[in-house]
Amino acid sequence: MRIGGHIFMALSALVLAMPIVVVCAAALNGGRSMFFPPRDATLARFGEFFVSEPVWTNALTNSVIVAFGAATLAVLIAWPVAYLLWSTGSKLSKALAGLGSLPFAVPPIVIGVGLGFFWSFTGGLGHIWSGVISHAILLMALPLVTISIGLQSIDRAHLDAAATMGATERIAFRTVVLPQTMPYTISGFFFVLVLSFNEFIVIFFVSASAYSTVTLQIFNSLRNGYTPTMAVAAITFLTVSILVFAAVARWGDLPRLMGAEQSKK
Amino acid sequence: MPDLILSGVSKSFGSTRAVDATDLTFAQGQLTALLGPSGCGKTTLLRMIAGLEDPTRGTIRLGDEDITGLPAHKRKFGMVFQSFALFPHYSVRENVAYSLIIGGMAKPEALDKAQTLLDTVQLSKFGDRRIGELSGGQRQRVAIARALAQEPQVFLLDEPMSALDAKLREEMQVELRLLQQRLGITTIVVTHDQREAMTMADTIVVMSNGRVEQVAPPKEIYHKPANAFVADFIGKANFFDGVYRKDGVEIGEQAVHVPANFAAGSPVRLAIRPESACLVTEPGQNCIDAQISFVRDLGPVREYHLRTDIGPLIVEYAGTDGMERVAGDKTLVHLPVEALRVYPRAVA
Amino acid sequence: MTIADDIKMAPAAPKTPAKGVTPKAALYAVLSAVMAVFCIVPFILVIVISFGRKVDGAGWVWAFTFDNYQRFFVGILWPDEVTFLYLQQLGYSFYFAIIASVLAVLTALPFTLLLTRLKRRTQAIWLVFILASLSMSEVFIVMGWDILLSNNSGLPKLFQVTGLTQWLKDVGWFQILREMGLANPRNVKFKPSEFATILTMSYLVWPYAVILLYPALSRLDPSLSEAARTMGAGRWTITRTVTLPSIRLPLMGTTLLLFVFLLGSYVSISVFATPDKQTTAVAIYSNIRGSNLDAPFGSAQAVILLISASVCLYFGHLLNSKAEAR
Repeated sequence: MRIGGHIFMALSALVLAMPIVVVCAAALNGGRSMFFPPRDATLARFGEFFVSEPVWTNALTNSVIVAFGAATLAVLIAWPVAYLLWSTGSKLSKALAGLGSLPFAVPPIVIGVGLGFFWSFTGGLGHIWSGVISHAILLMALPLVTISIGLQSIDRAHLDAAATMGATERIAFRTVVLPQTMPYTISGFFFVLVLSFNEFIVIFFVSASAYSTVTLQIFNSLRNGYTPTMAVAAITFLTVSILVFAAVARWGDLPRLMGAEQSKK
Repeated sequence: MPDLILSGVSKSFGSTRAVDATDLTFAQGQLTALLGPSGCGKTTLLRMIAGLEDPTRGTIRLGDEDITGLPAHKRKFGMVFQSFALFPHYSVRENVAYSLIIGGMAKPEALDKAQTLLDTVQLSKFGDRRIGELSGGQRQRVAIARALAQEPQVFLLDEPMSALDAKLREEMQVELRLLQQRLGITTIVVTHDQREAMTMADTIVVMSNGRVEQVAPPKEIYHKPANAFVADFIGKANFFDGVYRKDGVEIGEQAVHVPANFAAGSPVRLAIRPESACLVTEPGQNCIDAQISFVRDLGPVREYHLRTDIGPLIVEYAGTDGMERVAGDKTLVHLPVEALRVYPRAVA
Repeated sequence: MTIADDIKMAPAAPKTPAKGVTPKAALYAVLSAVMAVFCIVPFILVIVISFGRKVDGAGWVWAFTFDNYQRFFVGILWPDEVTFLYLQQLGYSFYFAIIASVLAVLTALPFTLLLTRLKRRTQAIWLVFILASLSMSEVFIVMGWDILLSNNSGLPKLFQVTGLTQWLKDVGWFQILREMGLANPRNVKFKPSEFATILTMSYLVWPYAVILLYPALSRLDPSLSEAARTMGAGRWTITRTVTLPSIRLPLMGTTLLLFVFLLGSYVSISVFATPDKQTTAVAIYSNIRGSNLDAPFGSAQAVILLISASVCLYFGHLLNSKAEAR
């Protein structure tokens, strides 16, 4: 049974890794088309992706702008909502949190279409800033959850202690609430960052082909067949994801963020 | 430093009354223990004194100044919490300096003063540690130093020993009492442990069900409990329900001689501590027939569990009485008049 | 960070707030406005436009007509002519989403159970791996499977080179594969096919299934199954009588969420499904961004998809609150 369990987990990991490994290996192809296993292995495609091909470097720049902008914005909106929910628990704050989670809960194509219409009426369609806002709206449910978990993990006695030592609510916020929830805030930021980087449907509708992110560029190239350069993008994204989540696991309590019980030390 | 005076302070949460109208004076420089079972309102009372809860009614004064409406961060009474509530994201020294720095003191100066306080609680070398690296006892010392850093007028401790193991608890009680006496600071300790209260307090306030039952020095609380609740809660006691007759209490067929100020015929409860009763061989006043049902030797004391006409009764001897009695023996138990206490009894 | 730094960051003491408007009330107002504009208006727009009318060659105009919905359910020429093409597309949306989500949950369940029994440190490493694959864009995953399943490289090539194809032909199973549309005369052929579509969709949500099941499974009380063991229950009996009943609700809730997510999946279907088995999501795309340029009809389809999803989410919510009430 134990051995069977290990085999099952290993098999799952293998299937999970298979397509990713294939994509990554394809990046080494020397020619213009994808082969697996790769032929004439070379690293030239990395140069194309990061330096010489404007199509890809522009897409990468756009992806980075959208991802960082959306992550920052999502955290900035999610923080006050989570804080109001935690400190007051009022009906209004619950409604706000519910609304904030809505875009993430419906099929992405629906919110993509909706935001596409919204921007076409407000004149944001095809601008990169509207892409930033759209991703922040779509993904703010994530920092909302992580920050709420962080706030709930604050011992109320810490706030009482700060008060008996002369801290006003404002100072207590700066010296107790903020430092103690920082790991959770950063986790939320990174979750948005990574998912925005990889998101396709919503950015597809709101970009209106005026600009491309990496995922859009890949999708556009799908019809003309694959090029190994696309695989370089995949490697880049995978590396970023793993680094980010490893960082979250290293400095935060990943199992708890994912909903496991408080760690037993 | 002025006295802390509560007049008519009460607290309700919704429809439940946590603390009944309470009048108390905490004399300056004294250590007072709020003692009672859990849920008796002692912690709520402490939190009202700290300013963490608003009283529903009544006023709190510090000397002549009314501080009832003053928020906790303006009262700045140092407080030690049950969980210690030390900030894990700051070092030990920064925790102690917290109140000074947010109070506007320059950082180097504040950290110097924090170091002095750490010396006082014998943690000189631990200033740069993280809270997670300290043992329970060390954390408690840090919590005490942190609460004292702002030189509070009143020092509050909420169950400060409950997170420590039994042996360390006794040591810390003595240490805390010595520190408090050296500083001469008005101190209020909430506890449910009577030994802790007796060890540290000048005055004990016994509470139950949101009410103050008795306010007195430890000795008096033990030897002259004001009512049956206090007698039962502090130490051990045997109780017998009966009716007051002239110069004594009638329990069933048995009369016990004990003069007290009650009207004849009123229902009363008779109490005696196990160590005050004794087993005798010769009949005399207040000597009652008894049969031993169980004997246990606890080392420093030996306990006899008796069956008598007035009900079950426990007698305790310090050391040995030289007589080897065993379960089943018949004997007499003597209830000395001066050790008996009579309390009114509510009739259901 | 030290206290002094934290304090320096603290803004100056608040000025006495203007009468009537406290900072908290202002914050509420701003947040409510943001949420209303960005989280409600887009949905309302979709609903409103779904009642609009397409104008030939000139996009569409505001209107209030049920034509788009009529077209969806019975076709535009009704009652003279009836077509269920669009209902059939919705049917395929459900078909693919149901099979893929159930498949994902059924395989993720034993994996997650095993995962929660590992040491916490090891769990964290697995979670990093799973989160990384979860965040991989649909386009990468489709690309990966596309290469793996393509005829001139990947698995079919592997089948041929290792002689597996010949073996399949020898034992006669090759003919069965051909009938299922998974082979051409010379070799096995995996795409386009339902098999490839469902495989990719299932793969897409599998990490989500693990992440969603993880909280419920990691809170399972081990003493329950230990108690069952002391009463003589075997491993399988424990799973059947203790573990499964206590996670029935999260299991169904997870399946529902994944199902809703997959209703809108686009890339895998447009690449792997045969043209006669396209779904509503693909139709929405081609109406709004594609060649049809029929935003009102696309919106109507989006509304129907949204309603389907909401109904499922509502049942999921009911299940959840039931689970919490227990």
